[in-house]
Amino acid sequence: MVFSVALHFLRDRMAAEELAQDVFLQLHDALPGLETPDHVRFWLRRVTGHRCIDYIRRHKHDPLPLEDVAEPSSPPQNIGDPMLRRRLQQVVASLPEKQRIVVILRFQEEMDVDEIARVLAMPLATVKSRLHRSLAVLREKLERVTGMSCV
Amino acid sequence: MNRLEEELKAALQREAPSGGFTARVLARVAERERQRQRSRRWFAMPILRWAAAAVIIIAAGGGFEYHRQVQERREGEHAKQQVMLALRITSSKLQEVQLKVQQLNRQREEREQ
Repeated sequence: MVFSVALHFLRDRMAAEELAQDVFLQLHDALPGLETPDHVRFWLRRVTGHRCIDYIRRHKHDPLPLEDVAEPSSPPQNIGDPMLRRRLQQVVASLPEKQRIVVILRFQEEMDVDEIARVLAMPLATVKSRLHRSLAVLREKLERVTGMSCV
Repeated sequence: MNRLEEELKAALQREAPSGGFTARVLARVAERERQRQRSRRWFAMPILRWAAAAVIIIAAGGGFEYHRQVQERREGEHAKQQVMLALRITSSKLQEVQLKVQQLNRQREEREQ
């Protein structure tokens, strides 16, 4: 879960592995204060989310511009198309970091908005609006890139 | 859930790190523990404890001495200002007294004449 969140967020396997290792090192120190598996899971999601955002800010990675997402030779139309998935991952990686982490926690970790708000220590309304805005941007970008309707 | 959301779920499926991830994390944990123990052992040497205590005492003593000097200098400045003020007051009073004496002398001389 930790590595995967970092990978989808950073789109860089080595950076994601390093970040995940750092999270587990921190967990090793924090373990005495964590009482239940749920608490550990909550802690891991929170620390991973914050570390991902910090990493991007420290390394000043610009979000991937949409222009870098190449036009496919023929627009993919089927659900489960690996090329479409790759495009979606790229488009997610082009979102601003706080929107990106909300989308990853929502769709990778299948967390509801209340949980995301608690994990990221954000107001519920902010999480809802970030998710709503992200989905609108993703829909628009994806339609532009693939020419398919996502509604 | 609409099509975009289904596709997002598929695109953001969990991915596993490359093999040996757990071993690499455990190796880092072990290395860090070794480093911590080394630094703890280093500080546990009696001579180093004494050296650290001496440094703290010297630093504290130096700080106290500096504070005392600053305090003394401040008090000295204050005393000097008070003396100057007293002298200024005294000299103006003396002038007044001198004028009064001169005035009285003049009046006496006039009466005698």
